Amino acid sequence: MNLEDCHNFDDFRKLAKKKLPSPIFHYIDGGSDDETTLKRNTEAFNSCDLIPNILRGTGKPDLSTKIFGRKINIPLFLSPTAMQRLYHPDGDKASAKAAEKFGTMYSMSTMANNSIEEISNISSGPKLFQLYIHKDKSITDDLVERCKRANFDGLCLTVDTIVAGNRERDHRTGFTTPPKLTLNSLMSFAMKPRWVFDYLTNKKFELSNVKNKTDKGTNITKSVIEYINEQYDPGMNWKDAEYVVRKWNGPFALKGIMSVEDAKRAIDIGCTAIMISNHGGRQLDGSTSPFDQIKEISDAVGDKIEIILDGGIRRGTHVLKAIAAGAKACSLGKAFLFSLSAGGQKGVEKLLQNMQNEIERDMMLMGCKNLEELNISKLIYRK
Amino acid sequence: MKLKDCHNFYDFRKLAKKKLPSPIFHYIDGAADDEITYKRNTSAFNDVDLIPNVLRGVESVDLSTTIFGKKIDLPFYCAPTALQRLFHYDGERAVGKAAQKFNTMFGVSALATVSVEEIASLIDTPKMFQFYFHKDRGLNDSCLERAKAAKFDVLALTVDTITGGNRERDLRTGFTSPPKLTLSSLYSFATKPMWGINYLTKGKFELPHLQDYVKEGTSTNTSIGNYFSTMLDQSMNWNDAEKLCSQWGGHFALKGVMSVEDAKRAVDIGCTGIMVSNHGGRQLDGSRSPFDQLAEIVDAVGDKLDVICEGGFQRGTHMLKALSIGAKACSGGRLYLYALAAAGQAGVERALGQYKAELVRDMKLMGCTKISDLNRSNLRFRKNES
Ligand SMILES: Cc1cc2nc3c(=O)[nH]c(=O)nc-3n(C[C@H](O)[C@H](O)[C@H](O)COP(=O)(O)O)c2cc1C
Ligand SMILES: Cc1cc2nc3c(=O)[nH]c(=O)nc-3n(C[C@H](O)[C@H](O)[C@H](O)COP(=O)(O)O)c2cc1C
Repeated sequence: MNLEDCHNFDDFRKLAKKKLPSPIFHYIDGGSDDETTLKRNTEAFNSCDLIPNILRGTGKPDLSTKIFGRKINIPLFLSPTAMQRLYHPDGDKASAKAAEKFGTMYSMSTMANNSIEEISNISSGPKLFQLYIHKDKSITDDLVERCKRANFDGLCLTVDTIVAGNRERDHRTGFTTPPKLTLNSLMSFAMKPRWVFDYLTNKKFELSNVKNKTDKGTNITKSVIEYINEQYDPGMNWKDAEYVVRKWNGPFALKGIMSVEDAKRAIDIGCTAIMISNHGGRQLDGSTSPFDQIKEISDAVGDKIEIILDGGIRRGTHVLKAIAAGAKACSLGKAFLFSLSAGGQKGVEKLLQNMQNEIERDMMLMGCKNLEELNISKLIYRK
Repeated sequence: MKLKDCHNFYDFRKLAKKKLPSPIFHYIDGAADDEITYKRNTSAFNDVDLIPNVLRGVESVDLSTTIFGKKIDLPFYCAPTALQRLFHYDGERAVGKAAQKFNTMFGVSALATVSVEEIASLIDTPKMFQFYFHKDRGLNDSCLERAKAAKFDVLALTVDTITGGNRERDLRTGFTSPPKLTLSSLYSFATKPMWGINYLTKGKFELPHLQDYVKEGTSTNTSIGNYFSTMLDQSMNWNDAEKLCSQWGGHFALKGVMSVEDAKRAVDIGCTGIMVSNHGGRQLDGSRSPFDQLAEIVDAVGDKLDVICEGGFQRGTHMLKALSIGAKACSGGRLYLYALAAAGQAGVERALGQYKAELVRDMKLMGCTKISDLNRSNLRFRKNES
């Protein structure tokens, strides 16, 4: 199996599984507790059906939209995800390059293995930085300043990770950052010598954006769960969020909004966008899915704030449904991480190409010329 | 497993799978993306239950219905499907003759492998020609004129195929027309030698309606998705459909209407029928199933043109449910395609005979003797469908 054979999410996932040591694969693939929410995130799209229109002479549809003040060519971008060097030696560079090529947004996690400056040097495409608020406040100020200097377009503050989710697969595999050999995981690393070789022969693993402020996760091996619980500020509140909004003073999103009430409050503190998300089912298991929640949120605040649907997207038709229900764009986590693991920049490009083809085809089959034409009248929810 | 062991849709499917090289089987059996719409097309029937009436005196049942001004003896017919000679060497000849035997309508695809002229000389039951709107206007005119000259009763313009669906099984198997041997498909062709022998010895593979105009599909291998995306005119709009309708001058249908709005517009441009259809789930995955959408469309336009429910039928009771909602007739592809692959004309006859027997039995059990006895009071929708 190689990239050529990857036609959809499952194919990329399969190839990633072949390439990655199992603790790393399961870190991407897993969710919290029983993974009920993880599954629901995708299944929710089947709770409604699309109603196509015919004979519209659409030709090639326009797939562009505008988020965080930037035009993107497809209504789909890369979610911020931690530690991409674990999946491919090129890490964030590969994702950022691929996103630039497709004219869409790349997002950088606070826990990235490349620095803000490094990425801004190699990509002039739209860029979003994802912020975690550390107990050490100077980390926040430092990150915001650096993003400004590096011309990032937007900032998002993740609000669903106040403590780490119960990711049981990570307990079982003993996943840590940087990766650590244990008796348990020895076999799985030994079976993927190519990965180990790449990992050891490329740039040193580090949490590039925070390494000057903390050793944890760079020189001191930590499980991600320990890292989150030790470093992030569990007292984070609306005031802290508002502080960052002011400090950044540009396009700003809260990532992990799930209720109408919080969506309204996001407007009050000056956010320009929200990402409806449950962190890809990795935090609170049993919480509702983004797609189940989007219509209500969009009815309440859709005209006042940009809505991004994050989580569960596997298909072009999922994107269409999300947009019809009120999203300006969608973002992808696992899907692109598997493609990154499967083939680095080429892998992510292949994924984006597949998704672009799907969205374009599906728009034509729907009889829609542009994304504005996709509205709630195109969806019928099942009883 | 033999033909006589085939008692239902699933048996025919199993036998077809045995006989066909896998790329060809999967071309029939597959659908778009995750095949969710494809599955829903059939599972939708399970969201509603039939309420029978008793003591109605049902010794004789009349299954006939009238569509496009023609009476047919069964309330269902054979939907137009492409490339039938790949499924069985007799292809459209077999299906046409079986349809004739049951006096029902036969739909002939633009991508048929037997010509309209030959079909017309073989059978005299009602015939529909399915039209694809090509970029090449010469080709369009030729198709239309030939169907007219061959006295086809209905022209159906397919409107859900403006670009090729994402049929991933075909991507994996490398299915093309005409079939091409690749390293990955070699094995599947080699293990079905009878198919190979028949394909190579029972007459050359042709697409008689197209081949004077395009090489693709006959002398140049093409995938079906690619054919749609490159040969069909993506700018096709309501004006084009209206012009075609008047150029044809007879019964005219749009195949693949799914919204109420478009159904009304079909009335306006002079259509006498529509197929509520999503192409058997082969185009837009995630789109609604015909049965789910049927009531709304029947309510809006059912008194102005013939509404045909197309896709997902695997049982007589499925058809009873669609007819109860108000469809004038049901139409299906796979319901006869597996049977064609399993045993040619004899297979299709057996399949049509079984659906007929099911319908007669089910009508009796419902306490109905004619199609017009069926209505929505025979149905209860479950509350917690999902
Ligand atoms: C391996 C992995 C690492 C992630 N790291 C982060 C992160 O550092 N910061 C963050 O806000 N979200 C993170 N997320 C969540 C994603 O941004 C996104 O919300 C989620 O993946 C969307 O769901 P999807 O995977 O179904 O597309 C991570 C997700 C995965 C799978
Ligand atoms: C193998 C196959 C080939 C088809 N070819 C055509 C075609 O050439 N033109 C067309 O309008 N529809 C075509 N269809 C769609 C059918 O006319 C019909 O809409 C569909 O089969 C209904 O779904 P069912 O198979 O569940 O009954 C094809 C379907 C199948 C399964």
